[in-house]
Amino acid sequence: MAHIPDGVVSLPVLAVGVVVTVAGCAHALKRLPPERIPQVAILSAVFFVAALVHFPVGPSSVHLILNGLIGVMLGWAAFPAILVALLLQAVLFGFGGVVVLGLNVMNVAVPAVLCGLLFEAVHLRSAGKPRRSAVAAGLCGALGVLLTVLAVALSLAASGREFVPAAKLIVFTHVPVMVIEAAFTGAAVGLVLRVKPDFLARSGEPAAEEGVA
Amino acid sequence: MIRRPALLVLLAVLTLLAGNTPAWAHKMKVFATAEGTTIAGYAYFGSGGRAMQAKVTVVGADGAPVYEGVTDDQGRFAFNAMRRMDHVVTVDGGDGHMAIYTVTAAELPESLPAAGTTGAAPTAAAPASSPAAIEADLRMVVDESVARHVRPLREQLDAYQEKIWLHDVIGGIGYILGLSGLAFGWASRRQTGKGRP
Repeated sequence: MAHIPDGVVSLPVLAVGVVVTVAGCAHALKRLPPERIPQVAILSAVFFVAALVHFPVGPSSVHLILNGLIGVMLGWAAFPAILVALLLQAVLFGFGGVVVLGLNVMNVAVPAVLCGLLFEAVHLRSAGKPRRSAVAAGLCGALGVLLTVLAVALSLAASGREFVPAAKLIVFTHVPVMVIEAAFTGAAVGLVLRVKPDFLARSGEPAAEEGVA
Repeated sequence: MIRRPALLVLLAVLTLLAGNTPAWAHKMKVFATAEGTTIAGYAYFGSGGRAMQAKVTVVGADGAPVYEGVTDDQGRFAFNAMRRMDHVVTVDGGDGHMAIYTVTAAELPESLPAAGTTGAAPTAAAPASSPAAIEADLRMVVDESVARHVRPLREQLDAYQEKIWLHDVIGGIGYILGLSGLAFGWASRRQTGKGRP
């Protein structure tokens, strides 16, 4: 499950989470132009609400993560977006915890950024082929979930649990989520590309002069 | 900008989806009560499913393990308490879900020896027909009956703690928008400041 509650993982793992989260947010905020802030806020709110859509799968219960979508739409800015949303979820809903916040942000945001970078690479080579970008986005949607659940399993393993059974369980229970998010992300990005392609530009500038920095 | 309304619609849809059904926190919880000397309970998810095959560990107030087992297909577990002390029940779902619940000593019958004493639970100390024994029996029966009737109420309370209200969701979204407004204002001020000769 993507939100690890307080008291489950060990201290070194928590520390790594905090360091990575702080570094990621710092990097993201430095290169975030003010004009993009409203978009970041709206996607953060989408992520915040997405975790409420949950359903039981097998012996466990899972919820939508949408980090693939956030990563594709925001790139590095996914870090602060996810940090704020997870903090509010912890404080208002009791999902996850505040102590374990750094780790949860890392587990969700790093895959998001990776998906964002992956998508950017494909998108830059797909000028004039929005279908290809949309499909890539859909795959990134599923990939984001997969990487996150693997990261969660790794965090648990690093705290003394057995990795393989935990990983198998978490990946298996999240397969429906991966399918739903792939479809959703692909559709959403397809729509955006058709109506306003600049939305995916990483800086405030139009997409034409955007480079991967 | 065409983008904003589309995303706002998406956001509104998601919120309504989430707020339409009674939203429960997606957490694993464990509930347990004592009926007589048996402590029984179940592990469940706030959203309604039961946690099957989850590991159950019970530790007494003295730190010594009392019971280790697995929940059944209904998420249930049960064991006999030997001492009248706090029992800390921990359930581990194996995928990061974890829940803890303490059954206090006050819920267990007084006929159990207190923590720290040696010896098994005492067998009947008086002949079955003496008034003292009858009264003790009666007290135990009443205790068990009351526990049984109060149990559904406590279950409801336990689950109710995790209910997510729509106003929590709206509050969270409000915070996000507010923070972004502050960030935007601060960033703009910085840019304007830099632009001045």
